[in-house]
Amino acid sequence: MTTVTTVTTVSTVSTAAATRTTAPLGRLAAAEVRWVLRRPRTLVLLVLLGLIPVALGVGIALTGGPGGGDGDGDGPGLVAAVAGNGLVLPIAALGLALTLLLPLTVSTAAADALAGESAHGTLRGLLLAPVGRGRLVVMKAVGVVAVAVLAVAVVAVVGVITGMVVVGGPSGTLITLSGTTLGLGEALGRVALVAGWTVVQLLAVAAVALAVSAFTEHPLVVLAAVLGGLIVFGVLAAVPSLEWLQPLLLTSGWAAGADALRDPLPLDGLASSSLRALVYLVLGVAVTVWRMRRRDG
Amino acid sequence: MTAATSTPPTEAAASRPDAVAARVRGLRKTFGSTVAIDDVDLDVPAGAVLGMLGPNGSGKTTLIRMLLGLTRPTAGTVELLGHGGDDLAAALPDVGALVEGPGFHPFLSGRDNLLRCAAAEPRLDGDLRAPVDAALERVGLADAARRRYRGYSLGMKQRLGLAAALLVPRRLVVLDEPTNGLDPAGTRDVRRVVADLRDAGATVLLSSHLLAEVEAVCTHVAVLQTGTLLVSGELRALLDADAGGLVVSTPDVDDAILALREAGAPSYRAEGGVAVPPGSLEAPEIVAALVGAGVAVWEVHRRRAHLEELFARLTEEDA
Repeated sequence: MTTVTTVTTVSTVSTAAATRTTAPLGRLAAAEVRWVLRRPRTLVLLVLLGLIPVALGVGIALTGGPGGGDGDGDGPGLVAAVAGNGLVLPIAALGLALTLLLPLTVSTAAADALAGESAHGTLRGLLLAPVGRGRLVVMKAVGVVAVAVLAVAVVAVVGVITGMVVVGGPSGTLITLSGTTLGLGEALGRVALVAGWTVVQLLAVAAVALAVSAFTEHPLVVLAAVLGGLIVFGVLAAVPSLEWLQPLLLTSGWAAGADALRDPLPLDGLASSSLRALVYLVLGVAVTVWRMRRRDG
Repeated sequence: MTAATSTPPTEAAASRPDAVAARVRGLRKTFGSTVAIDDVDLDVPAGAVLGMLGPNGSGKTTLIRMLLGLTRPTAGTVELLGHGGDDLAAALPDVGALVEGPGFHPFLSGRDNLLRCAAAEPRLDGDLRAPVDAALERVGLADAARRRYRGYSLGMKQRLGLAAALLVPRRLVVLDEPTNGLDPAGTRDVRRVVADLRDAGATVLLSSHLLAEVEAVCTHVAVLQTGTLLVSGELRALLDADAGGLVVSTPDVDDAILALREAGAPSYRAEGGVAVPPGSLEAPEIVAALVGAGVAVWEVHRRRAHLEELFARLTEEDA
């Protein structure tokens, strides 16, 4: 008779829920993605990313229209190649965004995922629910991956649309840097290839950012560490006597995106830079898991 | 320094009189050279409302954080609802907690914040909106539920934190300074919530620096100072042990003092009558002596110690 109180309260939920010790992973991941996408800064960054191909396209259309754009002197070669060749635009925009805004976007997501949650006191709530520490990393990784994929998709899709509408080109075809012409289908395939490759590179950045995020409760530390790290990589890569370092630097393979504009498609640059990114990814995830298993909530 | 496991007050707990909701043994936590918690043994009897008292920085929050597995102890063991060691997290679905203030995201509404908490609750299934709305109603936040957390007052934030702890029926609820920033109505609401939890058979662990608050709602107390547990046990027993003698209300003060002196009990004039310090005669003998001497006795009561005096005595003794 005396255990009645406990029994009745528990019986208000289903039997599966009454015995399990952690919430279903799908529900956690869905809640995480919803949270990430409602965060104002995520939306602002996505809008800014969408503006990159638009600004690039409008700029090219205004200064060097078809026929008039040799574009030499200012601007990288890739951007110059966009003139009169609209489907190059998404690839050029992805390359441009990868230098700063895309890493910033995923670093922000990673910074908020652990350091930001800790600063708000909400990490404690998740650990007390309880979301197991391993699951917490999975849940957070899902949110960061969602941001990375979405960010690249925004640049690629807006880039394709802007390229076709504003810049235009030889009727839905792409002229490669090698001078050959690709049909619309193959051109879009090349854009998708670069987008996928960019996501892989970004996930490497995100994994490192998440690892830093696991150690601090100051989101700014994460941003400073990751963006500072990228700048240091850039400086190291520019020093000729440190050439032996090149294979270790994540950023040294980032020029490989332009390979997608060559014909036939050279894959070794894309493959080696993806492999390097995977090493960073594994290291970042391993450190994150190791740290989160020990971290105070 | 060990806790008195006395008869728990509620029915649910009475079925398992030896049951403890939480138990720590030899618990110790150091941060560098600072000792935050020093060799604490504490039992929280099932069904009890235990008030944890202590000055700022006495280690209340550190102890609670270790109890919930948020901080690893330097030494010692923690057991929560029968789960301990690496299995401690298995107790957490049945534990609601408000620790170190409410933690929520400012850009979401109170309700959306709670929905996010609800998604992580193992005990919830299906539609999460019903339990969320019920919890909001329970803490009096239904009207402000759709406003952004950013705009909440301190008291509203605290209420939302309480709602998160109450999303699911709990067996143990841990509230760290729950009345922080609350107005008198809010304080009353917290008191009501704690009483409801106790009536439902839940165990409540409450830390506070408001002694009146603890005295009003708690059945047990534990007093911490500089990381050491000074005393713990049933509140009434502790207060009785600390109580003074008898207070006799009578108009015939002089006759009463005289009669008591003849009976062998020293007494002195007090407001409305005489006071008899403890240690001489028992209460029935005192009443018999007075009535035998023809002294009019309106009322005799034992002078109740207040938690405040007890607390002051304990914390000043050791200071």
